[in-house]
Amino acid sequence: MESVANVLVGVMVAGFGIVGLFLVAGAADSEMFIFGLGLAVFAVAFNFGLVKRHFDKRDATRGAAREATHV
Amino acid sequence: MSDHALAERPVIYNDDVVKKFVIASIFWAIVAFLVGVYIASELSWPALNLGLPFTNFGRLRPVHTSAAIFAFGGSALLGTSFYVVQRTCRARLWGGEALANFVFWGYQFFIVMAALSYVMGFSQSREYAEPEWHLDIWLTIVWVCYLLIFMGTLMKRQEPHIYVANWFYLAFIVTIAMLHIVNNLALPISMYSAKSYSYFSGVQDALVQWWYGHNAVGFFLTAGFLGMMYYFIPKAAGRPVYSYRLSIVHFWTLIFMYIWAGPHHLHWTSLPDWTQTLGMAFSIMLWMPSWGGMINGLMTLSGAWDKLRTDPGLRFSVTAVGFYGMSTFEGPVMSVREVNALSHYTDWTIGHVHSGALGWVAFITFGALYYLVPALWHKELYSKRLASWHYWIATLGIVFYIVSMWVAGIMEGLMWRAYDKFGFLQYSFVESVVAVHPFMVLRMIGGVMFLIGGLIMAYNLRRTVTSPTIEAPTLDTSMGGLAVAGE
Repeated sequence: MESVANVLVGVMVAGFGIVGLFLVAGAADSEMFIFGLGLAVFAVAFNFGLVKRHFDKRDATRGAAREATHV
Repeated sequence: MSDHALAERPVIYNDDVVKKFVIASIFWAIVAFLVGVYIASELSWPALNLGLPFTNFGRLRPVHTSAAIFAFGGSALLGTSFYVVQRTCRARLWGGEALANFVFWGYQFFIVMAALSYVMGFSQSREYAEPEWHLDIWLTIVWVCYLLIFMGTLMKRQEPHIYVANWFYLAFIVTIAMLHIVNNLALPISMYSAKSYSYFSGVQDALVQWWYGHNAVGFFLTAGFLGMMYYFIPKAAGRPVYSYRLSIVHFWTLIFMYIWAGPHHLHWTSLPDWTQTLGMAFSIMLWMPSWGGMINGLMTLSGAWDKLRTDPGLRFSVTAVGFYGMSTFEGPVMSVREVNALSHYTDWTIGHVHSGALGWVAFITFGALYYLVPALWHKELYSKRLASWHYWIATLGIVFYIVSMWVAGIMEGLMWRAYDKFGFLQYSFVESVVAVHPFMVLRMIGGVMFLIGGLIMAYNLRRTVTSPTIEAPTLDTSMGGLAVAGE
């Protein structure tokens, strides 16, 4: 259940990143340019973190299972 | 699985996000205090504006207020609410880890972007609501996710009762959402431009702004932190809330009355007289719930007053409740139209705000942080002595601050209204500026003391986290039983 929620959040944030890119592309002032760029960078960094945590968790679970088998 | 077995199943709380908010809160506290000291110095020595647009007082002032209220206070509120709701509902945060992380990082992104926009000169010119429309929309998205997590956790609780702290937190979340959306209704000049124009105009605009402004005080800086008070004081004291019934009366009266008090910010303006009187009357009525809550907080220590000698965190919390009582007495006094004629536009208002912000908001947060950091990281507090130093330096700093502002404010008010025998104003405005200069310097010294206290706290808590000591028993089970605060 939690992994579905994580995917949904990831997709939502990716959507915000795309909105950010549109804002950068059409920005009429420096504030909107920086905000749009910030939003896109935020989305990429957040989703990288999401992917990293997913694999970290999977590695931890596999490691624990391997240890249990050796014992 | 039987209900009993379900109830016995241990819940793994999401403390990761709470830790992040705690760290953010400490970081933003230092930023807020530092910028505060700088702009206080600018008011004492205007040359420090440096002739640059982005170091100008007008741009840095919202950086200070937003850093203090939304970054420092907001991070503390979001973090503690996540901590409290999980423990009092015996349920992990709803929505999963990613959603909680989105609320954390999304909120921090908002803070950084807002601060950047202020120094770049973009502002709606609405006090405490300076961010332009695109940032307002972003905050709304983050806030709705926050509300969903909090509500979802309440709904899947394993406790039959919703503890009173959660009522206050929920009022804070729901009302801030309502205030934020209505006050920021605006029409952007283009989807690609940061500039927008308010949906309201004239005196209606002013009324909506101060309906928002005063309730930001009432529901962000009061209700949310009362939630903190109702959880952390009983936990630290090891005593249940003095009167649970009083806490419920406190909640409903506060919620009902606060929302009407905004017009007292617009005395002697073109706002209709009856509206001004309405705001004033409700402000005076607010004495009752405010002092009821203060008494409830203080009396919770009955039988545990000795802990003030040994627990510096609790000392912060209890002093905060004292300041809460003092500033909620002063506020209604200042809302009386005749008193307001003297106090409005003067530094008395600044002193009043800071007795609430430093004495109540910051101190109740410090108390919660001194409790939370050892509890979350399972360590003993690095130094009680340093915490004690923090307490006394910060308290003295507040005294310097508010006393100097009282004197400066009343002097300004009296000078501005003084007439000579011919009916002319006795003093020019610049004479009042010269007269208050020593008090501006004193205020800055008070701010420096408060900043030093904050730095001591940051050092102490960092050493606590990195402390090599072996894991101490968690405070949750060692502080006088589980039942004191709703678990």
